Parts: sequence; C-alpha cells; structure tokens
Amino acid sequence: MNGRVAPALDIEPAEALASVPMDNFLENTFAEKVCIPLLRNAQNSDGGWGFHSGSQSRVEPTCWAVKALASREGPAKVSDSDDRSAMARGLEFLVSAQLADGSWSATPEEKTGCWVTSLVCWVLSGAGDGKFSKAIDGGLRWICDDWPRDSSWLQKWVRKFSASSRLTRQNPALRGWGWTPNTSSWTEPTAFALLALESPAATQLGRLAEKRKKLGEAVLYDRMCAGGGWNCGNPEVYGVAGEPLVIPTTWALLALRRYPERRENVESLVWMEKNFTKIQAPGSHAVAQICLAAHGRSRDGNTPKSDEFHAKNESLGSVQVASWTVLAESDPRSWLAAGA
Amino acid sequence: MANLRSHALIPSFQRPTSRVMIRAAASYEQELGTLIYESLADFALPVKDKVVLLKPNLVGLDPLGVMNTHPAVIAATRESFLRLGAAQVLIGDGPAMDRDTEAIIESVRLREFVGPLARTFVDLNIDDVERVSLPTRASRLKELYFPKTVLGADFFVSMPKLKTHHWAGVTLSLKNLFGVVPGSCYGWPKNVLHWAGIDSAILDINAAVRPDFAIVDGIIGMEGNGPIQGTPKECGSLIFGDDPVAVDATCCRLMGLAPERIKYLASAGTMLGHVNTDKIQQVGEGIEGLRKDFAVVPEFARLRQAA
Repeated sequence: MNGRVAPALDIEPAEALASVPMDNFLENTFAEKVCIPLLRNAQNSDGGWGFHSGSQSRVEPTCWAVKALASREGPAKVSDSDDRSAMARGLEFLVSAQLADGSWSATPEEKTGCWVTSLVCWVLSGAGDGKFSKAIDGGLRWICDDWPRDSSWLQKWVRKFSASSRLTRQNPALRGWGWTPNTSSWTEPTAFALLALESPAATQLGRLAEKRKKLGEAVLYDRMCAGGGWNCGNPEVYGVAGEPLVIPTTWALLALRRYPERRENVESLVWMEKNFTKIQAPGSHAVAQICLAAHGRSRDGNTPKSDEFHAKNESLGSVQVASWTVLAESDPRSWLAAGA
Repeated sequence: MANLRSHALIPSFQRPTSRVMIRAAASYEQELGTLIYESLADFALPVKDKVVLLKPNLVGLDPLGVMNTHPAVIAATRESFLRLGAAQVLIGDGPAMDRDTEAIIESVRLREFVGPLARTFVDLNIDDVERVSLPTRASRLKELYFPKTVLGADFFVSMPKLKTHHWAGVTLSLKNLFGVVPGSCYGWPKNVLHWAGIDSAILDINAAVRPDFAIVDGIIGMEGNGPIQGTPKECGSLIFGDDPVAVDATCCRLMGLAPERIKYLASAGTMLGHVNTDKIQQVGEGIEGLRKDFAVVPEFARLRQAA
C-alpha cells in the first residue's frame, strides 16, 4: 500500500476504546469539582458562554461548554436538571445566533460567517435532537460552499510568480477550509469541517460533501509535519520543518480517525504519546488526553494531573479549558461521534 | 469609540521630534530592574494611577528563550511601571500560531519571573472584543475587532524582541501589534492580515491602536529566518522610546538594516512617527557602539546598510 506502513496499533481505536470500562471515566474528578461549577457559573443570561466568566457570549466557548455538559453521561441522559436546562439554553443560543446564509460568526455583531460554523454543526449534530436538523442543514451547506481563496484559479496563477509560494511546502491543488472566508486552508478549520461533515445530515448533500471531505482529508495529510503531528498548517517554511503542536494534532487526528492504519495517523499518534509528558499547560493537557482516549490509548499515571496544571495560573479562567478538561475526563464514546 | 488610542495621524513635518534611548544590557541575568526603571523615569511618562498594558512578543513554545520577549525584561518593566505609580500593570498578548497561550507563557517561564498570572495576564486572543473602524485605508480592511483590554488601557506599551522576519523584513514594535488582533475572530494564524498585505495591515493596525511607548528586548535578538526559526543573535541592548516608529527605525540601524527600505516602516514614517534621524533625539548609548549586523533571508538582502 502506497503511503502506508504496518499499523503500530494492535487493535483499531474503536475496538480499543470499547475495551476501556466506562467507570474509568468521570467520577469525583477535578472536572466535577472545579470545571463543572465554573461552567455553571459562567453561563450568561442569554444562554451563551463567553471565553471567561462574565464576558460576552460567543459561539465558540458556548459550543465547548454545551459539549462538556452533554458529555458527562451522554446528551440524552444528563441527570442534573439544572445542567440539562443549561445545555438547552446553550443550544438555543447557538440556534438563535445562526445567520441568514446558514453560517455562524465569531462575534454577535459580526454578520459574516466563519469556521465556527463547523463547530456548531458538530455540536448540534451531537445533541441528537431532530429540531436542529434545519439549522444543521443550513450550516453544512454553507460549509460545502465555503472554498478557500488560495486555491482559486486566479491565486494558482498568481502563485506561479510569487516568491513566497516557493518557500513553503504544500500542494496548492488541495482545498480545505480557512478560519475566515476568502483566506487559505489551515489545519484546525479543516479538521472541524470534516468533523461537522460526519453528521448524518451531510449525506443529503451528496457528491459535493463527499468531494469536500476527500479534499479536506488530503489537505490535512499534505500539511502534516515531518515525523507526525500538525501545527497550524505550515509544515515547512524556508526549508525548515515546522514543529507540531498538541491542539491542531488532536483535532486533525479526530477528523482522520477513520484511517487508523495510515502511516500519518500512526506517526502522529506516536508523536502525541511521546510528547504527552512534556505538556506544560492545562488546555493542551486536556486536549491531548482527549486525543489519546479517543484512540483507546491509556493515560500515563505518572503525568501531572489537571489540578496541578490549574494551580499554576487558574487556567487563566478559560471556559474553553474547563470544557476541554471535562471532555478529557469523560468517555469519548458519549460525545465524539456525530449524532451521539 | 471610548478610549480608542487618541493620537492623531500627523504628517511627519508637523510632528515634534521623537525621543529614543539605547541602553547597553549584556545579559538577562544582570540586574535589569534599575536600568529599566531609570530609563522609563527619564521619559517622565504619564502613568501615575493609570492602567498600563504591556504587550510582549510571545509567538511560540520557546524553552530556550530565543524567540519571545524575555520574561526578565517583562517582569522588570512591570515592576518599574508600578514604581512609577501605575495603578495596575497588565501583561497581554495574542500569539498568532498557537492557541494555547498558557503553554507559551509556561514555556518561557513567565510565571517564575512575574508571579501568578491569573489576574495579571490577559490572553488577547480570547478577550472580549469591540469592532473598530480603521482610520486608514492602507489595506482593504475597513474594520477590525480589537480586545477591550487594549482599547481600555490608559497606557499601552509594545515590547517586541529584536528580530528579522521572513515576510516583513523586521518584526519590532509595529509588527508586534499583530498580536492584538484576536485569534478568536481571525484564527491561528490571523490569516486575514496576510491576505490584506502584511505591510498594509501593520499600518492600519498601528493607526488604530497606537502604542504610547515601545521597549525592545535587544539583549539577544534573532536573525535570518525569523520570527520563529531564525538564529539567536546577541546584541546587548534595550531600546526605549515614545515613538514606536522611531524606535523601530533605530532598531533597524542597530541591526545594520536601512529602515527606509522596509516598506511598512517607510510608510509609517509619513504619518505615524519618525524614521529620519534628524527628527529623532537619540540618547543613551550610540548606535555604532552597539550595532550588530543581522543576517536576513535572501529576499531582504536589499535592506543591508553599509557600515
């Protein structure tokens, strides 16, 4: 098989994950003691969350907070009625924030959609409630129509004469997604678009969705750093290899988890395992845990714990980090799959 | 717009002379507090009872301390502003390539120098934002979102590291302001700025969010393929000034580069500050004594200035 090596995993991630007993996840954990209360207190009266307690509601932190609350026992089984209500109000905030063209924007006053559209579609799909199908459908259509600017015919022609295009190593024929419309393809927005397109609703979009998924996956593999892992999407500049980072590597691996045997997946997962103990901050720590758990890898008991990371700077009060920590201590089966 | 930095755009010939101070500082281990305090005191800055925001250049994981503004400089500057009577001195940045800002500040050991950061450090990438109409049209951008912490600060200090940059030529106090453009609105990297044109975007951002002061960490800079993958370059200097354009122009001269050949800096010299030496009152050490010629990538070889 071209581009592949023998898989390093003894069993496939889904199988490995199924072998992990459910009671290994979320008990009386740091997430339960610190992060869940932070999320409860940080919700705004409009149902949304800001990036910090008391800050303006934004789509991105709201998505993560909803996902975190839903993850504790699965969205249909959240036992705490207050949390169920908080989730419902968060989901309502998201639906109400949708723009007329089906997209979502990064701030309430902005009327141009961006990459958070993928995040919302992923979260709404995960809520498993049919009443969101129209919103999801509008969002997925916008995602499929949102082509990056760097791969237009005009830009490809311009690149022939551009010095900068010769200084980077990436295939301009491939097209993923950018952070904002009319810009270039990058790792994280491409990964989240792929996660959104896992929604069962995407099958109704037919060949365009399939084409975009294939192109998006190709972009991620093209942008992988030498030896495994991803950074923002610059694997090499001026002949110097870029360093991978935990957060983009996690989202890329989740988006590509259908291909566990591919050399790139194997190398990147190995990179994540090797670097897990070097992580110094709670956000990356939580996200790396998500990555390893989603691939059925055990977490090393000798690594620092979430509370030790939090003690350093109180996670800078981040709702997002609190949400990721809850997800990291939850069973990925309860929240990772679209429609879960 | 409340508290949007209120400096008017003034043509160079109408602007008063700017003041730049170069101080020799051999290493980060030396006592920097007194040096920085005395330098700032010499400018008689209006910071008493004010909220000061320090904006260092934090671009990536940097355990060796070669790509980011050094924490010893940040901590000494913060202490100095407090000694000068500032009511609060915040530190804020929005790194462009990595959304885990806390991982970056831990990698540079900022907490070891400054203390707990929960109430001192603001991640500008995820701060509350406000939309601002840009007063200039250097790029096609008509407006940008900026962090409320930046717009609300009484006194804003750009604190870059002395570095060359593979797309812009140099990255100093003006280019450093890419870090106030929030990633939560524009992503990691803030690619909309690249599409707008890096040189033009630097001008538009600096015309909207005007730093009151600049302090450049030139103790160890970076040459070649900066801002991340370049080579450390000892320069042994700290550069202070009340005009970021003049500070950057002086830094270029310290690096052996011609500021008027750097596109955005030449343009900034027409409306934001001074590039020409006859409009810059330079105090402290002389340029020639501390000049270290920095290597640049081949595309910027034209920036070289004869010794």
